[in-house]
Amino acid sequence: MESENRYRATPGESQSANRKPQFAIRNRLRGRGALLTGAGLLMFFCLIAVLADLLAPYDYSSLSRREPLAPPTTIRFRDAQGQWHARPFIYARRLIDPATQSYEEITDRAYPLELFARGYSYEFLWLFPTDLHLFGTRVEAGDEAPRIYLLGADRFGRDRLSRLLMGSRYSLLIGPIGALLASALGVLIGVAAGYMGGWTDAVLMRGADVMMALPTLVLILAVRATFPPGLPPADAIKLMLIIFVMLGWAEMARLARGLTSELRRREYVVAAVSLGCSPARLIVRHILPGAALPLAARALLILPAFLLAETALSFLGVGLQEPEASWGSLLTAVDGKLFKRGHALAELSPALAIMLFVLGARLLGDGLGKEGREREKIQGFEYIEESKDEKKKEA
Amino acid sequence: MIKLILSRLLQGALVLLIISVLIFWLLTRAGGDAMSMLDDPRGSEETIKKIRSIHGLNRPLMERYRNWLAEAARGDLGHSLVLQAPVWSLIRLPLLRTGMSATVALLIAWSVSLMLGITAARRPGSLVDRLCSVIILLASSTPGLALALLALALIYSTPLISVVGPATNADAGVLSFRVIPPAIILSVPLLGLFLAQTRVAIREALDEEFVRVARARGAPEWMVLLRHALRPAAGPLITVLGLSLGNVMSGSVVVETVMGWPGLGQLTVSAVETRDIPLLLGVTLVAAAAVMAGNLAADILQRLNNPRLRNI
Repeated sequence: MESENRYRATPGESQSANRKPQFAIRNRLRGRGALLTGAGLLMFFCLIAVLADLLAPYDYSSLSRREPLAPPTTIRFRDAQGQWHARPFIYARRLIDPATQSYEEITDRAYPLELFARGYSYEFLWLFPTDLHLFGTRVEAGDEAPRIYLLGADRFGRDRLSRLLMGSRYSLLIGPIGALLASALGVLIGVAAGYMGGWTDAVLMRGADVMMALPTLVLILAVRATFPPGLPPADAIKLMLIIFVMLGWAEMARLARGLTSELRRREYVVAAVSLGCSPARLIVRHILPGAALPLAARALLILPAFLLAETALSFLGVGLQEPEASWGSLLTAVDGKLFKRGHALAELSPALAIMLFVLGARLLGDGLGKEGREREKIQGFEYIEESKDEKKKEA
Repeated sequence: MIKLILSRLLQGALVLLIISVLIFWLLTRAGGDAMSMLDDPRGSEETIKKIRSIHGLNRPLMERYRNWLAEAARGDLGHSLVLQAPVWSLIRLPLLRTGMSATVALLIAWSVSLMLGITAARRPGSLVDRLCSVIILLASSTPGLALALLALALIYSTPLISVVGPATNADAGVLSFRVIPPAIILSVPLLGLFLAQTRVAIREALDEEFVRVARARGAPEWMVLLRHALRPAAGPLITVLGLSLGNVMSGSVVVETVMGWPGLGQLTVSAVETRDIPLLLGVTLVAAAAVMAGNLAADILQRLNNPRLRNI
């Protein structure tokens, strides 16, 4: 059946597509909703990580003794006297019962909110020193305004939103960079195995099989435990990345090997070999471009595993240490009394962020995989991804 | 078959050896042990030195490794530095508990994904089929950590569920209802994996000619599904099962810690926290060995299911 496709002139584009030039963009986007959603989600998170300082109203590590475990601040337009205001404002709050962490609003005075409020100093985009933040309470000279907590405050009265935003920097640094490095190592090993064949291939792929089967998180923990527990953040990040790369290359290696040994048999590769192409050039110019889309798709699909590993390590207290925040370490505050405190969603917001990010990576990965399959079909090849029964054949 | 088992045993032994060498080697580079975590003001320099010499921590690393290996080869994994008990006696019960929760999780994931997968595969594009796509996406992108935290909070705030609530005491029986909440949480990511695989496998099997022949013969639908479609579809499903065992073990670290199921995962975390290296080494090796044994079992199952593979 596949051989019939091979000779069809231009498959792929659906008949319903409008071929007029002004519809070109719409046609390109057709049927790629999942891919676009995924890319959009990932871009959204990247933007948040880059602009975290601007978006966060307070320093992620600054404590406020007055409002531990405070629920999210209510933003008001209508004051206690029943009058409406154009500018949103908040009331200061007072802790009335430390045992149940219940708060009461002090309605004597309203504190208006403003865009681009002044706060702690930072360097915007690591270039321009500034102290502007997207929103905040308006502070007048010699006056202390209450803090606004959109997601409530944690045990030490730190703003949860600020911590979530700054935490996204660590989480989005370690997960994707880990996945990228591990993928690079995996591709290197896989291409070497697929290109050389013979016993190099056998040894490397047996190794990859074993790696894939092992309980990775247990190994990560074991390796992590041999290092001192309280590492400074930069060292902790480096250590985590090294461990992730050493233990995470296997899946990419298997895929890269399957693709390489498949692509090596293609006519254009055989032609390049017969023209005296060097192995390095052959791999870089002829094999890798053909394998790029499936590899990228798989790299996106293994990315969540790295993010989740970082989350788990930080949650278990051997990743980033306080007061640094990452999505995992923020979740350590959640306990069995989650629902009794009554702002569960705010407390679980890091989990929600993780979920959305992973969802984005999966959607984009699935979309790219589909793209790869379609492109192969247009070029008239059977899709080259490693077959499911390959393991059977080898055993 | 015997060749497979022998080669896997050999390979397993090699892997365990490599892991143990790796961890011992890392220890030399990083330094520090459970004694440096002790931090007891009453313990003088001398006492700590004495404790070190009792456990042989002052000897050169090669010698320690040789001794450890010689004992491990005889089935003795050494003595925990912190919990003051033989490592194996500390691991035995948690291993059974984790095995229990993993088994229940696998059973849940399998039964649900078989039911949904078969229904979805029979009618591509139907409501169930589309529902399955959503479930696959959600189940595989929801972090187990978040689910476990949510479940914990639910258990705490609902009086009804608290009957099966978390087992905090160390003497929780292996056969206890308390295994159900952690098992359900563990089964969610598996469900995503299995359901995707089941749906594709059954759909492909239903397109085969022998299914059409069976239908033409007038075989009832349940027989077509269970006897003719399920068996060829089971091949890739067993492969996924084997591959997911490592993930189950990894997942159980977080889930057990959060939900208070005193299994191997929780033990790993406590060993990491106290830097109890003998215990940690034991736990890691046992976890790896258990997963590899599970993989071997999956491969044997694969050969039983597909006679064509038996002679390879």
